[in-house]
Amino acid sequence: MLYRTAGQFKTSYQADQALFPVRQDAFLLAVILAFAWVIFPLMASEFAFQTLLIPILIYSLAALGLNILTGYAGQLSLGTAAFMGVGAYACYKMVTLMPWLNPVVAILFSGVFSAGVGVAFGIPSLRIKGFYLAIATLAAQFFLVWLFEKWGWLYNYNASGAIQVPNLEMFGVYVAGPQASSTVQYYVVLAIVTLLTLLCINLTRGNLGRTWKATRDMDIAAELIGINLMRSKLTAFAVSSYVVGVAGALFVFMWRGAAEPNLFDIPLSFRILFIAIIGGLGSILGNYLGAILIVGLPVVLNTLPEALGIPISSATVEHLNIMIVGSLIIFFLIIEPHGLARLWALIREKLIIWPFPH
Amino acid sequence: MKTFTRIAVAATLGAVMGTTAMAEGLYAPNLAYRTGPFAATGIPLMNGQADYMNMLNARDGGIGGVMIDFDECETGYSTEKGVECYEKTKGKAIVTQPWSTGITLQVLPKSNIDEIPILAPGYGFSPMADGKVFQWAFNTPLSYWDGASIILKYLQDQGDLSGKKIAFLHLDHPFGKEPLPYLEQKAEAQGFELVPIPVGLKEMQNQSAQWLQIRRERPDYVIMWGWGAMNAGAITEAVKTKFPMENMLGVWWSGHDADLKIVGEDGKGYKSVSWSFPNPDAPVMADVKQHVVDAGNSQSNEEEMQGVFYSRGLVISAILAEGIAVAQEHTGKAEISPADLRWGLENLNFTEERLEELGMTGMVPPFSTSCSNHTGHSGGWILEWDGAKFVKASDLIMPDSEAISELEMAKAQEYAEANAPWPVNEDCEM
Repeated sequence: MLYRTAGQFKTSYQADQALFPVRQDAFLLAVILAFAWVIFPLMASEFAFQTLLIPILIYSLAALGLNILTGYAGQLSLGTAAFMGVGAYACYKMVTLMPWLNPVVAILFSGVFSAGVGVAFGIPSLRIKGFYLAIATLAAQFFLVWLFEKWGWLYNYNASGAIQVPNLEMFGVYVAGPQASSTVQYYVVLAIVTLLTLLCINLTRGNLGRTWKATRDMDIAAELIGINLMRSKLTAFAVSSYVVGVAGALFVFMWRGAAEPNLFDIPLSFRILFIAIIGGLGSILGNYLGAILIVGLPVVLNTLPEALGIPISSATVEHLNIMIVGSLIIFFLIIEPHGLARLWALIREKLIIWPFPH
Repeated sequence: MKTFTRIAVAATLGAVMGTTAMAEGLYAPNLAYRTGPFAATGIPLMNGQADYMNMLNARDGGIGGVMIDFDECETGYSTEKGVECYEKTKGKAIVTQPWSTGITLQVLPKSNIDEIPILAPGYGFSPMADGKVFQWAFNTPLSYWDGASIILKYLQDQGDLSGKKIAFLHLDHPFGKEPLPYLEQKAEAQGFELVPIPVGLKEMQNQSAQWLQIRRERPDYVIMWGWGAMNAGAITEAVKTKFPMENMLGVWWSGHDADLKIVGEDGKGYKSVSWSFPNPDAPVMADVKQHVVDAGNSQSNEEEMQGVFYSRGLVISAILAEGIAVAQEHTGKAEISPADLRWGLENLNFTEERLEELGMTGMVPPFSTSCSNHTGHSGGWILEWDGAKFVKASDLIMPDSEAISELEMAKAQEYAEANAPWPVNEDCEM
């Protein structure tokens, strides 16, 4: 009905390979973008910005980075949080050493450092696979967090060992630090996330994406048809770590405002891995759905009892919240083991052929 | 994608509704943690705080005729949840009680913009004492540097410190690192050797490596800056390695009765500096029992109520209540604003007489604050574990204010510069 594709004829290969072969998809995306760019910023309160919109976007971006490595190239990684940390600390050092630097440029450039570190820790992937590789990335996780704690230069020898985001200006408007308004920060995050998402969609659809998928599905076969595994794996590590590093810089500079080393410890890595898995490995949309479920839903559930006027103590709400979110995760994984993105794909397919079942 | 929009719309609706649901009275939220790894130490404090406010509401009908809407927002000691709670409550709150050094550091830079006082009694960033720079933050009655200073003074009384070796066992976290600049300065001045031994968050329960190092280094004293599971871990490990307990001293957050009950008699001699002390005979305890516990509104129990942490919770709420009362008196209105409360907290004057009026004699040392002094530097007692409970082992010891205030001003200045533009209180003449 809504998704009737009848009458949408493709007359060229280009049209058939377009980003949105079905017109309704493009329309739906336009609606979502309109919401994200215009309607949410107009409607949202400070609370919604700080606890829903900004964190969901940043977590989605981090999961997107991980998804490139794990979902597209098949290399399991448990070091995401540490690579985020590299991005955050690199950005911190850049803006404190070069205060004249444009903050957005600094954020985008900080990903380069984490890409470098990511490639270095990706080298073992040439020899080891699967769970063994996960252990190698775990080593990155422990080593880097230890480094953030011990290397005083990284946090400018601050007594508390934490990094604090200074007030950063861009064209006369504060974009980071305590003086920055949430709306501005939201737009910066949204612009960067939109840009990187677009980039990733095209990368995964292109030549590079196909080599990654071939590596993931069967690396020996990929090698036999002439794919250079080293290049394929290391580019996956580089692109993934770049995106993750930018997400880390956004995480600290556009949202948290301060960070201590143990923020980038393994619980954060797991959280991002769960977002990617529940959203759907090997999909772009899934990262957003996963982040909404894991990051956004608990916040909404926390405000529900008060909004509905149910008198219940906040500790109990927290306990209930953990139970509800946990069972929802199990529920979604049972009805669709391939994640929320696959669930949406099935719904969409059904809508296209509706009302006929076949 | 439809789910996205639906959830997002529900979320925005929820958020909008959440901020409009207004309650009567002065809204004083507490960013509590009754869940998570630090819950065991948090619960008695939170109970004490809540019980005191409930007692005021039941006995006096609030403060100055206005009920106190004392509400908890659960953080589980997680900084991320803490910021969520801060954003949720700041619309109508007159005060923020962040309850973790991490959350305090997060909220501190926003205090100038949101203009809500941060009340962090006995925790947070030590330079917050400089009220001219940190206009909206209060860490009454003692800062961590004061605590370190009192411990060193007490040890100095036990015998000259020069040439001695002191191990500083601390949580590897902003909280644990707080006293380091002061201790380093003192080590140089007094000629003792300081050995900082960090305990990572993951090693809290198993500190065998740290205690091996302590055994090897043979320090004369161990000063501990621990919290949550780390305290019990360190104390049991000290008993196991037969470290002389009388040479081990902790900060006030390392003086939790439950942590020492685990070792009981073996923990005898362990000391902790404190700015609060349980006084079961104080009139305020009787009032809490009558108006809150007997009415069935308390989550606490008999044993917990005798502990150091519960009474500290009472003191913390008393500080807030006094700030509200002072502000009401000054402005002449009952419904005070956050800015009025800031004035109140800047003009606290806890004299012996006032403490007696409040029925809290002996539960907190007298202290007063001003616009330039947001801590009060009340001094503290050294408490000693006698095998079953904490007893006072010293008279009131005052911190070495001169050296501390110098360091405070320098570090506060550093903070303000790093966070420029940072407005300072120019009107404060003190």
